Amino acid sequence: MPEQLAFTRLLNAHFAGPVDSLLRAVHVHVVRPDAPISNAVAMEFIVFVLLLLYFVAVRMTLSVEKPGAIQHSAEMVHEFVSEQSESIVGHGYEQFVGYLSTLALFILLMNLIGLVPGLESPTSNVVVPLGIALVTFIYYHYHGIRSNGAGYIKQFLGPVWWLSPLMFLIEVVSHVARVLSLTVRLYANMFAGDLVTLAFFSLIPIGVPLVFLSLHLGVSIIQTYVFMLLATIYLSLAVSHEH
Amino acid sequence: MNNLKYFFMTLAALLIATPVFAQDASGASQAGLISIAAGIGMAIAAGLCGLAQGKATASAAEALARNPGARPGIFTFLILGLAFIESLALFTFVIIFIKVGK
Repeated sequence: MPEQLAFTRLLNAHFAGPVDSLLRAVHVHVVRPDAPISNAVAMEFIVFVLLLLYFVAVRMTLSVEKPGAIQHSAEMVHEFVSEQSESIVGHGYEQFVGYLSTLALFILLMNLIGLVPGLESPTSNVVVPLGIALVTFIYYHYHGIRSNGAGYIKQFLGPVWWLSPLMFLIEVVSHVARVLSLTVRLYANMFAGDLVTLAFFSLIPIGVPLVFLSLHLGVSIIQTYVFMLLATIYLSLAVSHEH
Repeated sequence: MNNLKYFFMTLAALLIATPVFAQDASGASQAGLISIAAGIGMAIAAGLCGLAQGKATASAAEALARNPGARPGIFTFLILGLAFIESLALFTFVIIFIKVGK
């Protein structure tokens, strides 16, 4: 039986029935009908509620004359992501800022929630980064097709026409490998960070694990940045026009 | 010279003999071999990853010392490069984790 956190147990106690019937409705086999909600989903739900509250609070306190602290923090995030994507994507970057800031905030909060005692990072479960990576994959292909039309296929064919069948295969594999590398990078970093803290906790339980917790904090922030940066770069490659 | 020859011959004999060592308790030693392989594999991955990251960081620091104005660009590429290098070690880690946990 997988270990359940307190919040997961609470969710399972109240919502196991509806979730089971929902999963059955979409033809998913429920392995454990009494506890269909995993820790990762419960933690993601907490992050979702926190972010929703944050966005609602930003919207409520929005003012031009007297910007509050929450508005300043939201503007900082927006400015950071805007500058980043303007320097990489260039012209027409504005439409991606929404997705990229949401991505950054979501991943950052999911990474950092693991530092709170009693909670764990959903990103240290492999399916969560996989989901985010797949959404990013679909998003940048959608924008590639939208901005280049049918000419988007040219990016897969390479410069020389007689090499294009080979290039097409290589490009498809490399695009799928992007999903794999995005997933594994985030997952393995978060998972390894937890594991290192745990290993040193089992050796010396006082003081020393704190060093690794702070290292984990740094890794969480950097991995969020890297994920967002790579998403921006893939977007910029997809929407670039070849002249 | 003769000593070296004997040394290498002994090494070769040991290499040939390794399957013989492994054969006596095949079921039990499988897990042990996987652990040894995991340790060696992770050591190689971590060591080479450290070497590569050191090289990348050294170049970035040098570039920053020569041209402090180019800080934002260098920083982005440094983080990106470090993430790519580190992900190779992490791939090894995941493979080891899958193999050991099985």
